[in-house]
Order: sequence, then structure tokens, then C-alpha cells
Amino acid sequence: MAQQILALIVVIFFLTKVVWQYRHREIQKNEFTFWLLFWLLAAIVIILLKQIDQVVANLGFSGSGIQVVFYLGVVLLFYLLGRLRLRLAKMDQDISKLVTKLAIEENRVQSNKKEV
Amino acid sequence: MKVFCIIPAYNEARNIGQVISAVQPYVDHVIVVDDCSSDQTATVAKQTLAVVLQHALNRNQGGALTTGTAYVLSQAVADQDIIIHFDADGQMRAQDIPTVIAPLLAGQADVVFGSRFLDQTTKMPWFKKYIIMNLARLVNRLMGVKLTDPQSGFRAMTVAVAKQLHWQDGRSHASEILVAVHQAHYRITEVPITVLYHRFGLNFGSGLKIIKDIFIGKLIK
Repeated sequence: MAQQILALIVVIFFLTKVVWQYRHREIQKNEFTFWLLFWLLAAIVIILLKQIDQVVANLGFSGSGIQVVFYLGVVLLFYLLGRLRLRLAKMDQDISKLVTKLAIEENRVQSNKKEV
Repeated sequence: MKVFCIIPAYNEARNIGQVISAVQPYVDHVIVVDDCSSDQTATVAKQTLAVVLQHALNRNQGGALTTGTAYVLSQAVADQDIIIHFDADGQMRAQDIPTVIAPLLAGQADVVFGSRFLDQTTKMPWFKKYIIMNLARLVNRLMGVKLTDPQSGFRAMTVAVAKQLHWQDGRSHASEILVAVHQAHYRITEVPITVLYHRFGLNFGSGLKIIKDIFIGKLIK
């Protein structure tokens, strides 16, 4: 019980932080929605931990509910890491487009100067 | 019909002058793309008749070739004009350029790849020749490419082909170009070239990085 209360305090801290960031326009609406849902889901999981234990046991798993939640968390982390990697690759591609554009433009400007 | 030679260069101040001089008699325009070198590559290149484009950030060989190609395409070019990709490290021989562009000039091909394996003139390091190249061939076969040289950087294509091609910044561009021209069913020819090895070039780690780049490239398309 004490552990659940402690975990809920952590979740409330992060929920408050997300709301604060959104109000101060540090994050955008879609990011706010994602993290709001994420932490609300985390709170629900903490509150319903006993029921999750029951569901996991009924499904025939030997581990406790918290272990299943932990495994799912690891899977989610890998998924988010993959998405982050792809977003970085896309940004890298966009930087290259800019570098190309700049190089050609710079050459054009210098050629014009020479002609003048 | 004009012939453009694109030379991506990174820290090649020692070689770039000689490479430009060697290439110039065989082509109409030389375009050097200095990939944010920390040495005097751009300064040396600017002392020649070559067009010099300078990257503000290092974008690797693929990125430099993209810039060079975009520059050529931004000029008044005809579809049958020719673009050559050539290395700045002095390992490729400029006298092979007529052989590489001959099938394009004759209208027999749309893309030509120089091959280090069609004759025995290239003295490639053993590990590269028998291990890395065979692994690269295997990867290419999986993507439907059957050429003797799986990683040729000496290639020529018509402007019409270059307009349709896109590749990534890293080292995977060689494989990407091979796969793209095969999938688009362009007329492809290989001709023998000789490469003089001063340095090892692509190693096993680079090969793995190429595979990773191709994979990520597919995911972000």
C-alpha cells in the first residue's frame, strides 16, 4: 500500500509537470495529450495493481501483475526509442537538404560577385 | 552532350589538385563538393577551373554527391548529358573515364558502373576482395542486384536518370543507387576500371553501417 502511494505521488508530480509545461507553451498539444494519457494510464495501473495481479494469474502466468507491467514498459520503451531514432534520421535528412541548398546558393552568390 | 564530373572531397587537400587536373581533359565541367573539410581542400580546389561547392556541415560522401548532382541539375542541362561520380582520394584513374562514359555516348546504356573485378588490374587487399566484397554481393543479391562490383563508386549516368535517383548521406548511397537503377529497369552496363589502393577504404564495420543505413532509410521513406 505504501509503495502504491509513493508511486502515485511520483505520477502526480509528473502529471503536474506536464500540465505546467503545456500552460507555459513548452510542449505542444499532441505531446501534452500523449504524456497526459501516459501518466493517467500509469496511475490507473498503480491503483488497479491487485486486479491486474488477478487478471495475470487467470491468464495462467506465474509472475505477478507488476512484473507484466514492467515487461510491457520495457517493450514500450524500445518502441519509443525506435521512433526517436527514426525522427532523428528524418531530421538528419532535412539538415542535408538545407546544407545542399546553402552550398548551391553560396556558389551562385560568389559567381555573381565575380561577374560584377 | 556535356559531361559533368562530381568529386566529393573531405580532407583531400593533398590529392584534390592532382585529381582535378587529371579529370579535366576528359570532361566539360568538374564540380568539387568540399564536405566541410578541416584542411585546405576547398582552397586548393578553388585554384583550379573546377566549380567548388562547400558544405557548412559534414554530410558524408552520399550527401556531397547529392549536392553535386543537385547543382548539375540546377544548370541548363539536357536529359542526355552525363554525370560522373569520381573519388577525390586519387585511387581512381581519370584515363578510365572514356571507357566509363562510352556506353552512354553510344546510347547503349543509361547507367554505367566501373567494375574492379572485370579484369585483374586492381590489386585489392585480400580481406576486402574475398570477405567484404562477397558479403556485399550477397546483400545486393538479396535486393535483386547482380553485378560483379557490389560497391562501385565510379559510375556515370545520364541526367535523365540522375533526376529520378535519391540516396542517403552516408556510405549506403552506392548500394542504394545500384538497387534503384535495377528496380527502375534502366539499361545498366559494367565496364572494367582499375583502382590503385593507397588506403583500405570500406572495412567490415563500414559494411554493417551501410546495411543499418539502408534499413533506416527504408523506414523513413
